[in-house]
Amino acid sequence: MKVPMTVPLNAPALAFKAVTAGYGKRPVLEGVDFAIEEGEFVSVIGPNGSGKSTMLKTATGLIHPSQGRVELFGREISSLKPRERATLIGVVPQKLESPMAFTVAEIVMIGRSGPRKRWGIPDAKDYDSAERAMIYTNVLDLKDRYFNELSAGEQQRAALAMALAQEPRIIMLDESIAHLDINHSQEVLRILMNINREEKITVLLVSHDLNLAAQIADRLLLIDGGRLVCNGSPGEVMQEELLSRVYGCDLRVQQDPYGGHPVVSGTLDALLRRPRVQKRLHVICGGGSGIELFRRLLIEGFEVTAGVLNRLDSDAEAARALDIPCVLEQPFSAVGSEACEQARLMVEQADGLIVGKVPFGSGNVVNLELAAEALRAGKPVWMASDISMRDYTSDRSAARMAGLLKSAGAVEWGGIQELMARLQQDVMKREA
Amino acid sequence: MPVKGSPNRNKALLFLIAVPLLLGVSLLLGPSGFGVPDSSASGKAILSLRLGRFFMGLMVGAALSASGTVFQAILRNPLAEPYVLGVSGGAGLGAALSILVGGGLLGAAGLPLTAFFFAIVTLMAVYGIASQGGASPSVYSLILSGVIVSSICSSFIMFLVSTADIEGMHTVVWWMLGNLQPGSTSGQVVSMILIVTAIGLLWLLAPALNVLTLGREMAHYQGLNAGAVTMSSLLLATLLAATAVSMGGMIGFVGLIVPHVMRALFGPDHRWLLPASAIGGGTFLVLCDAIARSLMPPIEIPVGVVTALCGGPFFLIILRRKMNHAWIA
Repeated sequence: MKVPMTVPLNAPALAFKAVTAGYGKRPVLEGVDFAIEEGEFVSVIGPNGSGKSTMLKTATGLIHPSQGRVELFGREISSLKPRERATLIGVVPQKLESPMAFTVAEIVMIGRSGPRKRWGIPDAKDYDSAERAMIYTNVLDLKDRYFNELSAGEQQRAALAMALAQEPRIIMLDESIAHLDINHSQEVLRILMNINREEKITVLLVSHDLNLAAQIADRLLLIDGGRLVCNGSPGEVMQEELLSRVYGCDLRVQQDPYGGHPVVSGTLDALLRRPRVQKRLHVICGGGSGIELFRRLLIEGFEVTAGVLNRLDSDAEAARALDIPCVLEQPFSAVGSEACEQARLMVEQADGLIVGKVPFGSGNVVNLELAAEALRAGKPVWMASDISMRDYTSDRSAARMAGLLKSAGAVEWGGIQELMARLQQDVMKREA
Repeated sequence: MPVKGSPNRNKALLFLIAVPLLLGVSLLLGPSGFGVPDSSASGKAILSLRLGRFFMGLMVGAALSASGTVFQAILRNPLAEPYVLGVSGGAGLGAALSILVGGGLLGAAGLPLTAFFFAIVTLMAVYGIASQGGASPSVYSLILSGVIVSSICSSFIMFLVSTADIEGMHTVVWWMLGNLQPGSTSGQVVSMILIVTAIGLLWLLAPALNVLTLGREMAHYQGLNAGAVTMSSLLLATLLAATAVSMGGMIGFVGLIVPHVMRALFGPDHRWLLPASAIGGGTFLVLCDAIARSLMPPIEIPVGVVTALCGGPFFLIILRRKMNHAWIA
């Protein structure tokens, strides 16, 4: 069947119809379905690795969908001749790399290689289009400079000029402004908004900057794990609960006081405002069981000490790296009385003690004595549950000790989340 | 808007004057001394010998240099050239086999065709090894596997040489060192047709090569059938390298360095660069051959030695000064 050269009226600029696509046999996108009308400014957002770039590659015909259809102005993308496709879509990559010393004008003229006749020598129209694209993107002054010598912002403007010189009806940007300084990214965005408003060119901006996307796009497509999770106006997509779930962290959405668009922010500021707890905790760990504990305790603002650990143990290395005071014993040796005494002094200074998920053997079971001592001194002890599962002593003394500790008032914890919650609670209670 | 990218007029003029001048000088050089041979019978013979060498040098140099230019553009790598990619090694193996076993079946085209066939097989092997894992291979894996396959080919050649009889051994070793002594006339004609056609076709692809230097993805976005253009230019460049190897043996250096110098002088636009490289490579090799045969008569230094020894320092100076006009990576 001969494909009609005219583009159907009112067909969406870009339509994904139940598209599944990926590399080799591994699908990255699954059942993605949406349509972008001509003249819209749409932004695709989503966490790293969610399939944003794959979506762009599928939309440009670089990857063929294994299921479903991708339509560009009503025509299946793979039915388009490469040159025709280049007059419909212009792409601005993350970073345009030109290893050879082409000037800006030469790079922009490369944008005319699609519309031009195959062996054609550039004519007046080609030069006009290239020049107009350079004026639009404000790189005309740079036309005789080498592309590689430009700053990142200038390079992106030149890359945009190349895409504009194609005179496309839809322009797609793949994280193209993510690495630019704010002044340069604002300038590129202004250009994009201009071409969208004045030239009615459809814009599809892939971005991991949520705020930027919400600020300028008419519509957002939120992608997560290769699926389209939400498709709607910035107000509809920028929901605290939805974004927190997709991005896997606590996020807060507010209205921008000037533009009125939603602004998302992390909750780090809340963390920063939290007063530092003037508490010192001693950690009994080993074999890597302490690293995550150290990290979380330090973030929560505790002072941390540790021991007794063997030198070269990964926890000992971590403690050294994190400047955590630590009592050390020779590598691969049982904990001696001298080290024990030092650790005892350390525990005396501490406000509480945590027993990590460390396996116990005859060499380090002495550490549990420290916990018993802390309890006797009236200090709280948070002990990882199931010590008996990690008891490698010949006489099961660690499991026995754990039982004694529990009956003496040690609190058991399962996961680190739980431990942190308990710590908050108990410390607050003691404070009050 | 002025056409930036057309080479600077002074440079082009200098180039146009220098090329015939250098070519003329090389015709005057020979083991019999500097000057135009007299019109005696021996003088005519000397002149015809020199013309034969002149023609060989021009063809081989142009082919190697154009081939290097194309490989560098397609692989976007300043190190790419027929040798690094193993193409010359494969062609060499084919040519050595053809010389020793005899490729007489195919007539005049036997040597270049066997060389081309082996070069293609090598290129496919290199490409296959490099693209383990399915996706299109990275430049680094291509060059790594090129070096590996290349050394395998040269071991095969060594093996062939060591098991050949004295006469065959002599022929192959001389040929491997690089030797522009013309072979049969029909062979030369076939090679010339191949070289001129391949360079012509590549020149038609020059605008596409410009786009490809921005990477295959960008080329796709610019409406280029990137796969087809890559494949056809790789094939043509391989044909050039194989023909050059079958004509003149293993002459290194020309395919790597001449394209860089031409790029430094004329910029990276392949519409200009490709012809300039071909002419520059041809002239360079003719000149080197003239030096090789006249420096210490009656001994003839292998031309490959001269290309590296004479060309190296000279080109290093140019590249140190001008590299930023050629390649920024």
